[in-house]
Order: sequence, then structure tokens, then C-alpha cells
Amino acid sequence: MLLHTVSRSPAHTALRDCVALLGPDDALLLLGDGVYAALAGSEAAALLDASGVTVFILEADAALAGIQGRLLPGATVVDDDGFVALTERYSRQLAWY
Amino acid sequence: MPLSYALLVLAGPASGHSSLTAARFARALLARGHHLQRVFFLDNGTLTGLASAVTPQDEQGALEQWVQLAAEHQTELILCISSALKRGLLDSTEATRHERPAATAHPAFELGGLGLLVEAAQTADRLVTFG
Amino acid sequence: MSPVPAAARKSILVVSRHAHPGSSLPRSALDTALAAAAFDQPVTLLFQGEGVLQLLPGQDSRAAGVRNLRKVIDSLPLYDIETLYVDAAAASALGLPPDALPEGAQWLDAAGVQALLARHDHVLGF
Repeated sequence: MLLHTVSRSPAHTALRDCVALLGPDDALLLLGDGVYAALAGSEAAALLDASGVTVFILEADAALAGIQGRLLPGATVVDDDGFVALTERYSRQLAWY
Repeated sequence: MPLSYALLVLAGPASGHSSLTAARFARALLARGHHLQRVFFLDNGTLTGLASAVTPQDEQGALEQWVQLAAEHQTELILCISSALKRGLLDSTEATRHERPAATAHPAFELGGLGLLVEAAQTADRLVTFG
Repeated sequence: MSPVPAAARKSILVVSRHAHPGSSLPRSALDTALAAAAFDQPVTLLFQGEGVLQLLPGQDSRAAGVRNLRKVIDSLPLYDIETLYVDAAAASALGLPPDALPEGAQWLDAAGVQALLARHDHVLGF
């Protein structure tokens, strides 16, 4: 049960490396430039979709990037409180950036 | 059940807004009733403690956010001493020791060794990294 | 630092994912691992992604005037950091020669990395 946080844009290797190493009960939170991976129709979104991982997106960063209306279906938007709640549920975190 | 958190901040305040995100996360965890044991700034993260940073009026400064948090919640803010010195961040002791004209780190931050990060990892329930 | 009873010790996995010398993170990752070992805390290092390039042998840093990272890595066993792991897929993709593996280090496939990530109390990504 690991919470992976990805804050690099999907053009970098961080997202792909992370997805390749996801455990069955892990979850993924996209923040910073990492939110672009949730842009519907992108290759990164397809990769996430195919992986079956549960995807969360930090609200402030999705809004900042202007993608809040174009998100990968099934992704869940969380605010700061929701981010903390994720770290309660997932006791360990790995930051990819 | 309240948990004890430690945060590790590795990104500088001028490259992206990871340090600001970490400060918001810190506020959010406190609001949920958790304890924030320590925030450890390492590598470029130490630049967050630069006292002379000037933020444009229409933006939030990471420095101000952390300083406010420390004032309100007595949060321990530690700058990794070796990362800090390399980047010109000195408290008054280090400024005197290295014969520099003035302290450059904001007094809300303390300089400390990596042992403080290791200790936080041992005692905190959660260690969250912001890169 | 106050002593922590052995039973309460939490294991730390340091994941080093950036190449040097373009980033100072590899050095910070090693320093963190060394600090953990200095305080007798169980620590493991994983080189992943571009981080595997830190392992290239034959690094000569004299002309550049910075520290030789491979020498620091080779010295880790002296500081009781015995467990180094290298992501084999990343190494293969980036062309890291098989003989670059430091003494005592082990290649890990994806399943091995997943198992490593699953069995540490804290995972620090650098």
C-alpha cells in the first residue's frame, strides 16, 4: 500500500517508471506538472488507464494547469485535505519527480 | 487517530511550487488534528529559508508561508546544514564561523544535520517527501 | 539524537533516480543513506531510472573539480551500507555495462523492485 506522487510532466521518465513499478494495492496522486498525465486523450492518460491504478489529482494543480474539465474519466480530484487523507490511508509514500 | 508527520522538502521555492504545496499540506494535516513533528529542508529545498527572498505582490511566497506556519504552530523547520552552507544560507553562528558579513537564513529556520531527518524518520508515523 | 530501541527501528529505502552531475540529488541521496547508517538505522539504496548512471565505472572528476560519486558509492560498505540494488531494466535501457555493478550490489527486475518498495517502512525518493 504505497502512495506514489508524481510531480514531473509525462514527457519525463518519472511517470512511466512509476507505472512500471506499481504494486497491486498502490495508488497514484498527480501533482505539480504531473497533473498533465491525467489530460484525457493523452498517451499518458492511456497508460494510466491501461495500468488500472487508482488515480488522484491535486485540485489546485489541476486548476492551475487548466485541465480540470478535461480529466481522464475515473480520476478523482482531491484538495489538500484529501491529500492528507490519502497519506492516512496509504502509510507510505514515494515521490517521483 | 492523530498521526505524527515529518515532511521532507527537496525542491527550491523558485523551481515550481512544490515548497508551497508542502506548506499547504502542512496546514491541512494540522487542520485534520495530526501532529507535525518536523519539516526538513534538504538539497535545493534549503533555498526556501533564504531570508531575503522577495515575492511579487500577486503571488504567495514559500518563505512567508513557512514562517507563518512556524509562528502559529511552533513548527520545527530545519535546513540541512551542508546543503544550506553550499547555497549561501547561514545563520549568525555559521556567518561568524565562515567569516561572512551576515546571516542569510530566516530565523524561523534552524540549521541542522541529516541526523534530524533520520530521527524524524524513526519517530514519525508518516514521512512525506516533496520533490 | 535520542537512541531508538532496536524493536522500534523503521527501515528506510532511499531511491536515487537522477543522474549526476546535472543534479545535486544523487549526492543528497547518498548523504541521507550515510546519515541513517551513522545512526544505526536500517537503510537500503535503490538506483532506478537515470540514477543507475551514477554507477558507471571509471569516473574521473579531477578536471571537473567536483566529488567522484562512484568513489562515494564504493565506500558505502565501509559505513555499513551493504544493501545496494540496481533496477536492471533501467540499466539495460540506458546501456549501463554489466560490469558497472558495484561489489555486493544486486540487479533487480520489476518484481524485485516492487517487493523492495513493499517491505520498507519509509521510502524516500531522490
